Amino acid sequence: MSSIPADLHYTAEHEWLSLSADGVARIGITDHAQEALGDIVFLTLPSVGATLAAGQACGEVESTKSVSDIYAPVSGEVVARNESAETAPETLNADPYGAGWLFEVRLTDASEVASLLDAAGYAALLGQ
Amino acid sequence: MTSADGGQKTALYDQHVALGAKMTDFGGWLMPLEYSGVIAEHTAVRTGVGAFDVSHMGAIRVHGQAAKAFLDGVLTNDLLSRGPGEVQYSLLCQDDGGVVDDLLVYAGSDDECHIIANAGNALTVIDVLRSLAPAGITVEDRRPDSAIIAVQGPQSRDVVRAAGFDINLAYMTSTVVRHPDWGFVVVSRTGYTGEHGYELVCPREAAVEVWQAVLAHGALPCGLGARDTLRLEMGYPLHGNDISPQISPVTARLGWAVGWKKADFRGKAALQAQKDIGPLRLLRGIELTDRGVPRSHMAVVAGGTVVGETTSGGFSPTLQCGIALALLDSSVSVGDTVAVDVRGRHLAGRVVTPPFVAASPKDPSPAA
Repeated sequence: MSSIPADLHYTAEHEWLSLSADGVARIGITDHAQEALGDIVFLTLPSVGATLAAGQACGEVESTKSVSDIYAPVSGEVVARNESAETAPETLNADPYGAGWLFEVRLTDASEVASLLDAAGYAALLGQ
Repeated sequence: MTSADGGQKTALYDQHVALGAKMTDFGGWLMPLEYSGVIAEHTAVRTGVGAFDVSHMGAIRVHGQAAKAFLDGVLTNDLLSRGPGEVQYSLLCQDDGGVVDDLLVYAGSDDECHIIANAGNALTVIDVLRSLAPAGITVEDRRPDSAIIAVQGPQSRDVVRAAGFDINLAYMTSTVVRHPDWGFVVVSRTGYTGEHGYELVCPREAAVEVWQAVLAHGALPCGLGARDTLRLEMGYPLHGNDISPQISPVTARLGWAVGWKKADFRGKAALQAQKDIGPLRLLRGIELTDRGVPRSHMAVVAGGTVVGETTSGGFSPTLQCGIALALLDSSVSVGDTVAVDVRGRHLAGRVVTPPFVAASPKDPSPAA
């Protein structure tokens, strides 16, 4: 059983999103995703200042055995990327909801968050 | 990721599941891909000791009058130069020089040898050998009654000894041990990792006890994921990727496994012609200097033109960079800078001659 924190939003592509009060969302991959990928060895993240549309492929997570695209869960401008996770990608395996976050986006349209899954919906997707 | 009804199970399947392995279909077998993680398992083999279930490999017994001479006349390498107890890497080729499979041949007596073939090719190897064997020579499929456990790493000798095999074997030799509990076990100083290591061919009924013994004595269970990163760091070819019916031993720079002076073997004329003309492409290594992971079947580019294609690729846990084996035009030289087209990004790398890491399976064990 993978961990699914109750206070986060989720996508069917196994990303999580945490919305702060100032309209900035932090994004990462779920515990299920890191477990399925295995040892993560490289990250490619969007540049700060880039404008993303919801659903757009904007980066890659590469493990010893495969590569997965990262899709922007919401539209907005990239305001931060986790450079320490780029240097130490194994952080995504060790702490996917904490130190292993990927990037932050200032939302163009906060209502997009409503279309994401909640923890119960994501758990149902995983069959948990 | 897991398959598939009909996936064959080794004698250790339940052990793998109980250990929490991620299972995968490989050559028609349900095999462990990883237990604790590819990098942890890889590191255990490079610095300590790991154990692999390789019972999916095809154990074949060839016996009958002059069975060894028969195999020498079919397989590429010079088997008659090997005496009882010696193990030789060899190839079964097609008449056109393409590789049916790469094999380990256990030279027994003049009238009996054993072969270990790749899982997915074992039946083809058996069919080809049977079609070529003269009357009186039997080619026997031993897979149903054997299990194979590889114990690999600088501490492998301690584990094998603690498990009851107090032996001192030179690299690429084997012996048969009668174990008090497990019956006859073939122990060989062989492997696919580049480290000092052993492979134990034991009766299927004893497999669980042998496996549990090597784990109890300190070997970390390792899956096919680590097996691939370990072999790739050594530049060992994988059949179906780096050698194949389309990629000959001349192209793959495996001429050292071809007995050129032998009167004949299957594919000799074609391979001799390739060697004389010089192959258009050669199998080389590429060590990426840019960050990223090459995979198989990616284009290799130099000076704006495609100069080759990767055949295997992955992340090297030892070097902490991407590495690949690639078929490169013979105009490309070792030391050249090339780029691998990784999903549209051209990642720079250096052409090298494998192995990528300095490990040696010939190293004496620290305990020896």
